[in-house]
Amino acid sequence: MKRTGVISALLLMALVFSGSTLSAQRRGGGGGNRGGGGGGYRSSAQTTVNRGGNENLNRNQNANYNRNTNANVNRNVNVNQNVNVNRNVNVNVNNDYHGGYYGGGCCYHPVATAAAVTATAVVTAAVVGSIVDRPPANAGCVTQIVNGLSYTQCGNTWYQPQFSGTQTTYVVVNPPR
Amino acid sequence: MGSGVLAKTGHQAALQEDNAIDPDAMAALNKMGAYMRTLKAFQVKADVSTDKVRNDGQTIEFSSKVDIMIVRPNRMRVEVNDDAGHRFFLFDGKEFTIYGQVAGFYATVPAPDTLAKLSENLVDKYGIELPLIDLFYWGTDDALTKRITAADDIGPSTVDGITCEQYAFRQPGLDWQIWIQLGEFPLPRKLVIRTLTDDAKPQHSEVLTWNLAPSYSDNAFTFVPPAGVSRITLEDIQAARSAQK
Repeated sequence: MKRTGVISALLLMALVFSGSTLSAQRRGGGGGNRGGGGGGYRSSAQTTVNRGGNENLNRNQNANYNRNTNANVNRNVNVNQNVNVNRNVNVNVNNDYHGGYYGGGCCYHPVATAAAVTATAVVTAAVVGSIVDRPPANAGCVTQIVNGLSYTQCGNTWYQPQFSGTQTTYVVVNPPR
Repeated sequence: MGSGVLAKTGHQAALQEDNAIDPDAMAALNKMGAYMRTLKAFQVKADVSTDKVRNDGQTIEFSSKVDIMIVRPNRMRVEVNDDAGHRFFLFDGKEFTIYGQVAGFYATVPAPDTLAKLSENLVDKYGIELPLIDLFYWGTDDALTKRITAADDIGPSTVDGITCEQYAFRQPGLDWQIWIQLGEFPLPRKLVIRTLTDDAKPQHSEVLTWNLAPSYSDNAFTFVPPAGVSRITLEDIQAARSAQK
């Protein structure tokens, strides 16, 4: 029971953390994604009578929507990093880890608190290939030009801006050069 | 009997409308298309509004101002101002550039050699729908007249002080209206398109102001990045999609 308690507490912390990051980014708004954010759109008026333009528009919107989903998935990957931390904790308490992600969530153990604090400190590296609307705020990000292309460096994480359709998104990349 | 009339909705009504094609309305459309094909260079300023439908069915309107200059067959300069930003689309016959003035980013990619091919390419490869896209198509595609299932002459109507004739058309998934200038310059002055495939029936409309003698130089179609503006990439959604498969 201790084990599952530790794991679920970690998961909870990680989810809360990723959730707050997400909302902070939305609040930070003011960018080019006005039409696509918020509650989500299921369709758009067709803008041409000469082609099947609406299908194309829908395709774009779906693509945008998927990107958001991907960003969330990647944050879940961060949760996996927590699990790695968790393994160390388990070693300390001499328990085997069986990968039980869906524990009963019963017992809030002091060890869990300590581990969770460590875990949140670990959750900073964004996963290469993930896409966000904009880099995190208050991360001391700086613009870098490498080989004629613009990048945004936030600590050890590099974001490459791109036009996705007419909107700007940022892909997490390995440090360029 | 009354219920029988009420029941004539949807597909049944659409079939009935097949017969309701006013040949004068079709002729006006073709005359406009033929005239537009003769224009070598033109500038259009437009007030555009387009509805988007939220997942819960609520309709939200988005507006923009568009300034577009076309020199056939291979020069284009488009400026779009809306609440999401201030963007330019430039085409000099060789390269296409998208420039987001607010973000301070631009991307340049190789382009096909004509406007028609470019507009297709932008949608398929990059997910970019140029504004006022019908301007590229009027009079070039017989498929449109074949799709039309109903055509009606509504009568004279004034747009921005210019006397036009208003026409209404139906085709699968769309009800649309066009205001065509009367006289020797049969130009589209207003276009309203209602999408029927979503229950909320979102609408797109554009009111057009024409300049048939625009002044321009070749510089107008080539992008020279202003100071402080950085180059970024343009995502190739076609490649991304085939990589996922």
